[in-house]
Amino acid sequence: MAPLARPPSPHRVRVTPAFRSSSLSVPGRTPLAQSRPRELWLAIHLPSLLLDSLRDVALALPGRPPVAIVDLERNGKIVRACEEAVHAAGVREGMSINAALALVPGLHALARDARRERQLLEAVAQRGVRFTPRVSLEPPDGVLLEVRGSLRLFGGARQLCLRLQRELLEAVGASVRFAITPSPLAALWFARTGPLGARPVFVRNRDELASRLALLPLDCTRWPERGVETLGTMGVRTVGDCLRLPRAGFARRFGQELLATLDRATGRVQEPRAAYVASERFATRRDLEPEIADTARLGLALAPLLEELCQFLRERGRGVQALEVQLRHRAAPVTRVRLRFVQPVGAQPQRMAELLRERLAQLVLPQPVRNVRLLSGPLIDLQADAIELFAHDRREAGGNLPQLVERLRARLGNAAVHGLACVPEHRPEAAWRAVEPAAAKPRARQQTASHRAAPKDGRPLWLLDQPEPCAVDRLVLEEGPECIESGWWDGHDVARDYYIARNAQGARLWVFRQRRETAAGARWFLHGWFA
Amino acid sequence: MSVAVEQLLQQNSARLWRARETGSSAAAAVPAGLPTGYAALDRCLPGTGWPRQGLIEILSDQRGIGELRLLLPALAALCRDAGAADEIYPPPRPDHAGSAHVGSAMPPHDRGSGGWIAWVSPPYRPYAPSLAAWGIDVGRMLVVNGAGATEWAMDQALRSGSCSAVLGWSNPRDPHALRRLQLAAEASRSLAVLYRPLQAGLTPSPAVLRLALLGGGTEGLQVRIVKSRGGRPATVNLGH
Repeated sequence: MAPLARPPSPHRVRVTPAFRSSSLSVPGRTPLAQSRPRELWLAIHLPSLLLDSLRDVALALPGRPPVAIVDLERNGKIVRACEEAVHAAGVREGMSINAALALVPGLHALARDARRERQLLEAVAQRGVRFTPRVSLEPPDGVLLEVRGSLRLFGGARQLCLRLQRELLEAVGASVRFAITPSPLAALWFARTGPLGARPVFVRNRDELASRLALLPLDCTRWPERGVETLGTMGVRTVGDCLRLPRAGFARRFGQELLATLDRATGRVQEPRAAYVASERFATRRDLEPEIADTARLGLALAPLLEELCQFLRERGRGVQALEVQLRHRAAPVTRVRLRFVQPVGAQPQRMAELLRERLAQLVLPQPVRNVRLLSGPLIDLQADAIELFAHDRREAGGNLPQLVERLRARLGNAAVHGLACVPEHRPEAAWRAVEPAAAKPRARQQTASHRAAPKDGRPLWLLDQPEPCAVDRLVLEEGPECIESGWWDGHDVARDYYIARNAQGARLWVFRQRRETAAGARWFLHGWFA
Repeated sequence: MSVAVEQLLQQNSARLWRARETGSSAAAAVPAGLPTGYAALDRCLPGTGWPRQGLIEILSDQRGIGELRLLLPALAALCRDAGAADEIYPPPRPDHAGSAHVGSAMPPHDRGSGGWIAWVSPPYRPYAPSLAAWGIDVGRMLVVNGAGATEWAMDQALRSGSCSAVLGWSNPRDPHALRRLQLAAEASRSLAVLYRPLQAGLTPSPAVLRLALLGGGTEGLQVRIVKSRGGRPATVNLGH
């Protein structure tokens, strides 16, 4: 395969062997076998990302004024990008918006939108996934594809680039620039330089990298401005100039990080890249013919959709925590049924169907259903034991509490199911609280241990939510008083004398006397039973 | 006909109650129960403890006479068993937040090995500090407000296999509901306890053990064994 661009003449300076051995560009002790790289990275650079991300906003403006994208940096609006016509009028990046307005009076300023920029980048990455499974984002304006294995499939680098460009233009409407090299960083540097319409740079071997990189101006590295300026004053303006500097001195003056980027660019050091994972969701629909008015039959009709969802999850090895079923009627508004699982659920159609059946059973349909849709929430990586490899053991061990909680909540409501926890508090009603079942922290156990030391009979087993006024004339006060006075800091302060009392039937009660006068006049209250 | 009876006897099923074989001679035939923590009561129960399979009914109209204390030693023992299992398989430390590697961190739900205690439709709040003082692991309580679906919720809890005890407060009028509950309790390994009013003792029930509680004035709690499969009616005074 012919290189896409002719290699520039090797811009090498003759150096003495002694100096070479310590200069930056030394291929090191790279064995010959490694010169054939195991990876080839295609960098996609989006030179007009800022404009492209706001293109539809700009097009929607009345009268189509010329547009510049501004940043609210340094307390003023600084132009970050502008259309070609505006550029031709003399507006440059970094100019203040006032200066730009002086040059182009009708200029319309649009603020940068980081969310849209990210979306555009992800849209590019999602197209990239069609060409290779290894895609990596390089925010703000780059995407990397590892294409070594894909070259033959797509008929060579040239064909691949043409096709990618066509797809990106259609799908995203973004102008792009490519480069292919064995190291991801070098590909990015190449893609950032050069005119828009030029042929993509293609470097096949790692040996060539250093010499091909040599001509690039230092801007493409995006090093800190100060470092680049300092290098400029030394007469170092290209990557090649840098590569000729002694390593130790370079690291001392400009830091290990810059040296490391050079090493990664020349392929001396491998650069691991974080893989981009598309944020997918599942959605499917089905028309019901004839329409269904009965929720039990509706459950049956939804079963194949759940099966489809589970197949989708199985292929990806992932799970969901939320599902939505939309039931569409002829005239009535859409009925939505939302299912939430306590923990991510993988491909378990049985479990999903069970929960759905429970929810459908309570549903009152306003009209027969003519169309159903099943939508998943975001896909979630499954925890190791969510895969039911040892389903039997888990059942034995009682690990399926989340399923029980889900089922109970589906019918009784979320608030109807809770766990308990102790709270170190003097006020009896504040010494416990309802918690998410199963979410109890290991700390709860330590508290349990500390309470274990407490006497068994000091507190009742049943506590009333609201103390009830009671008459004490028939009660025998057996123990007490225990004075509890606390809580002045949160407005629910109490001042009570607690007694353990016994009634005529032999039951033991926990009663208290208000130490302060209350408006209602009642002074004795029942607060619990020693059950 | 007699052949069929012989076959039935030879199956030696736990569901078959041999009226003749009561008392000490049949101790081997009745599976060992869960010790109640009250020696006097243990002596009167066929498995010398709470039956581990089948429904237990506790009939009482009064609150505060010790109706919960009757169960607590057994519940504490169940918690200790679950806790011991935890020490063999210690719960994961949540040090890597959000890590989802194979084998790195189990979800918090699977802390330990189950052994939950479900309280379905209790009449008042089970008071956590007091339970803790009795040696019960408060972190394993599951409180369910059944609101009209108590038997269903108990049934679900029993069938899930994640609860070592299921306590319910309800008075099912429908004999089929009781029967279903008894079957679920029979099939599960959880302690299944249903609290009902004294009045319910007048109607028959499929429960394996029925106790009526009377809070006598000075003698303390009296437990009358109304029905005990494989045992005999008796009255036990547990004191205060």
